[in-house]
Amino acid sequence: MMLLPCPWCGPRHAGEFRFHGAAGTRPDPATTTPEQWRRYLYVHDNPRGWQTESWYHSAGCRRFLTVERNTLTHEVRSARDTQLDAAPNAAEDAR
Amino acid sequence: MSILPTSRRARSATGAGGAGGPAPMRLAPREGEVIDRKRSVEFRWNGTPYTGHPGDTIVSALAAAGERVFSRSYKYHRPRGVLTASYLDPGAMVQVGDEPNVRAAHRLVAAGMDVRSQNTWPSLRYDVKAVNGLVERFLATGFYYKTFIKPEPLWPLYEKVLRTFVHAGEIPPDSAPGCYDQRYAHPDVVVAGGGPAGMAAAVAAARAGATVMLVEEEHQLGGHLRFGGPAERARLRELAAAVAAQPGIEVLTDAVVEARYDDNWIPIVARSLPGIDERLIKARAGTLVVAPGLVERPYVFAGNDLPGVMLSTAARRLINLYAVRPGHRAVVLTANPEGDAAVADLESAGVEVAAVVDARRGETVTAAHGRHGVRAVELGDGRRVEADLLVTAVGWTAPTSLLNQSGDQPVYDPRAARFRPDPARMPDDVLAAGGIAGDGDLDQLVAHADAVGREAARRAGAAGGAGAGSAVAVPSLAVDEHPELFSAGTGGFVDLSEDVSAKDITTAVAEGYDSVELAKRYTTATMGPTQGKLETVNTVAILAAATGRSIAETGTTTWRPMYAPITLGALAGRPHQPVRYSPMQPWHERHGAVPLVAGQWIRPEHYGDPAAEVTAVRTGVGIIDVTPIGKLDLQGPDVAKLLELLYVNKWQKLGIGRVRYGVMCAEDGVVLDDGVTGRLGEQHYLMSTTSSGAATVWEWVENWLQTAHPDWRVHVTPVTTAYASINIAGPRSRDLLARLTTDVDLSAEAFGYMNVRTGTVAGIADCVLWRIGFTGELSYEIHVPASYGLHVWQRLLDAGADLGVRPFGVEAQRVLRLEKGHAIVGQDTDGLTQAFSAGVDELIKLDKPDFLGKPELVWQHQRGTHPRLVGLQPLDGSIVPPEASQILDRAGGIAGRVTSSRMSPTLGRAIGLAQLDPELAVVGTHVTVRLPDGSDVTAEVTERVHVDPQGERQRV
Amino acid sequence: MSEETVPLARSPIATDPTVVVAGWEVCARVSTAPLTLSDETPLAKVLVRAPFGGAARDALGVSFGRTARVGLGTAGEVLLVGSAPGEWLALGAPGTAAAIRAALEERLAGTGEFVSVLDLTHGRALVRLHGAAAPVVLAGVCGIDLADHVTPDGTALRTSVAAVVTDLVRDDDGGVRSYLLHCERSSGQYLVDALRDAGSPSGLEVTGFRGLVPSSA
Repeated sequence: MMLLPCPWCGPRHAGEFRFHGAAGTRPDPATTTPEQWRRYLYVHDNPRGWQTESWYHSAGCRRFLTVERNTLTHEVRSARDTQLDAAPNAAEDAR
Repeated sequence: MSILPTSRRARSATGAGGAGGPAPMRLAPREGEVIDRKRSVEFRWNGTPYTGHPGDTIVSALAAAGERVFSRSYKYHRPRGVLTASYLDPGAMVQVGDEPNVRAAHRLVAAGMDVRSQNTWPSLRYDVKAVNGLVERFLATGFYYKTFIKPEPLWPLYEKVLRTFVHAGEIPPDSAPGCYDQRYAHPDVVVAGGGPAGMAAAVAAARAGATVMLVEEEHQLGGHLRFGGPAERARLRELAAAVAAQPGIEVLTDAVVEARYDDNWIPIVARSLPGIDERLIKARAGTLVVAPGLVERPYVFAGNDLPGVMLSTAARRLINLYAVRPGHRAVVLTANPEGDAAVADLESAGVEVAAVVDARRGETVTAAHGRHGVRAVELGDGRRVEADLLVTAVGWTAPTSLLNQSGDQPVYDPRAARFRPDPARMPDDVLAAGGIAGDGDLDQLVAHADAVGREAARRAGAAGGAGAGSAVAVPSLAVDEHPELFSAGTGGFVDLSEDVSAKDITTAVAEGYDSVELAKRYTTATMGPTQGKLETVNTVAILAAATGRSIAETGTTTWRPMYAPITLGALAGRPHQPVRYSPMQPWHERHGAVPLVAGQWIRPEHYGDPAAEVTAVRTGVGIIDVTPIGKLDLQGPDVAKLLELLYVNKWQKLGIGRVRYGVMCAEDGVVLDDGVTGRLGEQHYLMSTTSSGAATVWEWVENWLQTAHPDWRVHVTPVTTAYASINIAGPRSRDLLARLTTDVDLSAEAFGYMNVRTGTVAGIADCVLWRIGFTGELSYEIHVPASYGLHVWQRLLDAGADLGVRPFGVEAQRVLRLEKGHAIVGQDTDGLTQAFSAGVDELIKLDKPDFLGKPELVWQHQRGTHPRLVGLQPLDGSIVPPEASQILDRAGGIAGRVTSSRMSPTLGRAIGLAQLDPELAVVGTHVTVRLPDGSDVTAEVTERVHVDPQGERQRV
Repeated sequence: MSEETVPLARSPIATDPTVVVAGWEVCARVSTAPLTLSDETPLAKVLVRAPFGGAARDALGVSFGRTARVGLGTAGEVLLVGSAPGEWLALGAPGTAAAIRAALEERLAGTGEFVSVLDLTHGRALVRLHGAAAPVVLAGVCGIDLADHVTPDGTALRTSVAAVVTDLVRDDDGGVRSYLLHCERSSGQYLVDALRDAGSPSGLEVTGFRGLVPSSA
């Protein structure tokens, strides 16, 4: 099985992780229509090539990772801690 | 001159090969033989005793004794003998003891072995099923699609008959379980193949600082050097000594590299290890060197499956490794130097070589004749030569499977008559060495492999970081010309394991299955135990000829793991199935608890009388071990925001010491989990979840925190097993608990329903005490630091003896909560049950700006057509409908189902919960319940709460 | 079982014969074999959650993936493990959890960062696998490369061991390979059974509670 380059733990067997799918944007619950909401829930792109997706390192650091993976070759060109990326200050705890 | 095999005469005269008897085909000692003549090994073949030597394979020992037939073929039950004298030999699958499908030309003889032919009746010699050679037209290619189809009612008979013809061994039901093992490994370099190239590459890689695993299928290193001439044997000694002297090389013989998965994840099955049957090594290699050598290819012609027709490498193995004469009088068809060398070996073994047919001069063989073995060979020029042995050397197949699995797509080279790796498509971490990469003399092949080994070490980052230094210059290997020889065009078998003939391939094409993938599946060619290593190229060649395309255009089928068939035992290894126990488990076991497997947990289902346990809780006090309940410790300034997001109800105003019940949904509005959450401090909460949902909810919560609200400050720590959890339930529960706690005021005024306190219980500090419901009685759930769980449990039972305290199990709890109409997520709800169908309408606060699943719940509520969770009571209270019984609507369709159903000891009648369409979900309605046996009962829709509808008993 | 006047703490790992040490029922066996497995569950275990890198992390002095022995004053010496990003586990002598908690809270109070400190003493099963052959045992149940240059002494990591999520800490003792393994409490018995199964061909023997190995003076 492929190795995933966890930014914290180093390269680990993919079986240590749980795949959480391609990132999608959550529609605003206040204004969303059923069509938009169900598209968010059920209709996902299935690209042949690079995809940005979420993986959880369940048997390791337990961090959610944003991974760029090529669905054809299984190359991984980046794997970043999702929370740190989005709110580095929060993780550093700005007052 | 008679060429009748002497075996029959010799055996009857002296029991040749039998205990004490001479082996008529055993030669005088030869240089390079691998048998130890100083010792003997006695074994049985189909009940008759035979003798071999340590180092003999089953086939070599039997062949020495003059045996020529080892099996009957798959469909037609034709007699089969030695073809390759190696692991791949299709005619040499036998049963050894209780182990079926043993490769007899690879398995070494052992004392006391009981070897039997497979699926032959009444005997190997006179197999009655061979009569289906006469009914060939019913068993032609694709027969399972064409014959035995009609009439359909006869299928069970067809199955029974066909099953008895299957060529496979037996596994006796009382067979002792095998002993399998597994191990992880991280070698810098794995070398697949222990011939001269593999050995040279391994030594070079290890010298360059790499840790190396050298894997060889045979029982010794050496590959084709083992059965070569003096020069080959000398080189073998040199290379073997170099391997032995070089630190850093782990040598595995009788082992196979089974596959190559992404990032060089490589399973290796190792046998011949002390104390275990097989070991699965799961290796993550830096670099893989593929050096499997070349596999000699059979020739397709009429009679090519007769015993006595064998490859040149088979003859040389028998003669040089095992000192066995393969026959008396031979015809040799040769197209290459190895075939020429076989002629010399045959002569040195005392075989009369009656004719040498040189394919390079355009000569050929068209047929082998005989019934139980070769008796005569027909040549291309029409001559008929009497012989009992026909040796062919018509070409080599590259076993590229591991390269294909690595992403390579080998290319057919018509000049060399074989497939070759395409270097442009090999991934960086895989290299090829030896015959599979090219040709040359031993020096050239070894020099090439040496460079490959050094480069493999460099790429693996051995001793200096990945890719250190510049790439090693690997010399290129020339590729020798070889005539393309696949089929004489006179019929014969293409796949001996599957009994697929050349005619079957052309028939398949005629029927429209003209692509290689279709032809393979239709004919089953290449689908046998050899997986195409002996068959693919010939199949492709015949297919190409039949379709007017070239071999390159036809292509090959896809090679997939495993390289060699693998046992389920090896894959299973050591079973790793986690089991989880509560701290009170020793007490449960000692007191007759009936175990219930709940996910990974073992829980007490009951202690002998669940109905009495229910009654004890309703009338006195009972205690239940609920340790598996999920518990999450939540700390931080933003916990309330988190709860507000996760649950359908409101949490911002929950005071310290207060507890609220919550339901959480997924974004599709489907109920995900439920539980109570209590506030222990300003920024400290404790959330409980269902036991089966504990891990799911934790991951769910982390997902929302880390990816959707990275700025929220919440620390989530699972404490599910940090606490032993005990629910003390019943009218006397306060009395009992009061005897064991001094620092918590348990009075109704001080500690009301849906509150939480911390305190000391039975001398244990830092316990969490919850006053919550579920059973409907006054009850306290105490969470005790888990190491003291058994202590507190025991103290409760001791302190409450005069109160009649008794333990109750999961079954009693199920009944108690059902009497109170509490839904269980996952039982009364399923993967489609949105929250308004879970009986928690009052809980769902649609006026909250946002919570997970809200949009779907708004729409569900608007539609109003959703099923409702209702109470159910069969009119005949003695009938307990099984859970999942369907509820019918007026038209006889499905209107709902029974989700929970039990006999209530408290009411003395059956009660239940059901999901039911809204038209029928009105209290008082009578509905029809269809039982699994097809009968119907009438039930009345009731309120969900069957006992104490006002809920007064739990609020005292 | 009769009334216990003094409550007895128990590990999830069954053992026989037993002896009581610091209020815990522990294994009474003593093995001199070169490869041993001991139940270290009685050790105090205190969890710290804090930002990944910042004043709290500096105050603790240990980064993710590493360990250090740290003196905490009256709470004694602890083995401080950087077990995950933003997560540290302090291991100390049995019975010292409250003191360790207090000492850590004090140390971190001045940082003003969002910090939580929890007593997880009872939530983890903890064992020590000790001996030169320890990597051979672990190779049967764990896919991590335990070579010196990959996981040297003082490494902390988390992975799957025999299908259970387990923390692995290399804590060599007197130059001898030694690993602490811990998992959520209820899987402790299973983990020990799996380690003993993997270790039996290497002559693994069970021995009694050893306690924390102090740092060399």
